[in-house]
Amino acid sequence: MSDNDQALYVYGVVAAADAPNVNAPGVKGADVRIVHHEDFAVLVSETDRGPLAAAREVRAHWRVLEEAGEKATVLPVRFGTVMESETAVKEDLLAPNVERLTALLRELAGRVQLNVKGLYDEERLLRDIVRRTPAIARLRERVRGLPKSAGYYDSIQLGELVAAEVEHCREQDSALALERLEPHAAAARREPPAGTDTAFSASFLVERERVEDFSAAVSRLGKEIDGRMQIRYVGPLPPYSFADADLTARSEAWA
Amino acid sequence: MSVARATPRGYLERPRPSGLADVIDVILDKGMVIDAYIRVSLIGIEILTIDARIVIASVDTYLRFAEAVNRMDIVHTDESQGLPEIMETITSGGAKSKTKGAIEGVKEKLPGGGDDKEKSERRPRRRSSRSGKDEE
Repeated sequence: MSDNDQALYVYGVVAAADAPNVNAPGVKGADVRIVHHEDFAVLVSETDRGPLAAAREVRAHWRVLEEAGEKATVLPVRFGTVMESETAVKEDLLAPNVERLTALLRELAGRVQLNVKGLYDEERLLRDIVRRTPAIARLRERVRGLPKSAGYYDSIQLGELVAAEVEHCREQDSALALERLEPHAAAARREPPAGTDTAFSASFLVERERVEDFSAAVSRLGKEIDGRMQIRYVGPLPPYSFADADLTARSEAWA
Repeated sequence: MSVARATPRGYLERPRPSGLADVIDVILDKGMVIDAYIRVSLIGIEILTIDARIVIASVDTYLRFAEAVNRMDIVHTDESQGLPEIMETITSGGAKSKTKGAIEGVKEKLPGGGDDKEKSERRPRRRSSRSGKDEE
């Protein structure tokens, strides 16, 4: 244990040969520096052990990795990771994980993450659902005829039916999006919906040189679903979703 | 097209650098998990995670859906497509904003650091009465 309250905020791991110079201010405004150890370089910044203001520091974490990712292949460490000291970074993060890290860096080299999300025009979606689902249309008529207090359970039932239909649409649209985009990517992951209006959400690992090709596929998908959904196409990001390794002995997630 | 916010042409030709709202779930959820880190507390993380993972199968969501569906004026003439579309846009002017509000209300809580561009991108109608510091 160190006797003061200094510690290191850990952003990510890159290959030593690749070590980028990051100018974006780090967590709590500290400069980002690099801990070198054998074939690896770890992006860190000084911090104390006080609490992190998540809303602000998420942004710093993100910006640092974004900049590093433009210059190197970086394995992001999960947000909020603070380690004791440089020694801890070398001995606890790097040393026991040399093989995993080497393999991940090799696998992800030259590849970026692109996220594609489809968002429903919710009003249109719900309208379509009411139109084509007689059970929902009937229940809706009944609920509308009742005073608010009397219709509580009917409302829940109605909402549940609608939610099930939305889920059904979501399944179909996720399948469609993956079918169209996956062939242009090295890997794909479906992500959980981020909101009630999410049609699909997926992360793709794409060769840097093939981003244009992938973008063309996203464009075509956009035309295919035009009006029903809006696509949010974001990136290039460091491969957060594909460096999702659990390097703990016991796989206890942080809380 | 009856979508209120028209999609700019060519917006999918290449990926955009992201606003935080677009990647918040990725950043909170993904990345390597390592041993021997110090547990520091995270102030405000609850708001962020709740926001990133809205529970879709909840009574709250059901009621919101029910309310949204109930507010809509739907003309039941299934066979004709053209006319009802037009009528809806006329009759649902008031209801529309309320429906949107009900659904977007959930997202409203997303805290931000103070990067105005990102916010206005996502919520064009948001007023400038932000209080970024208070959110933390």
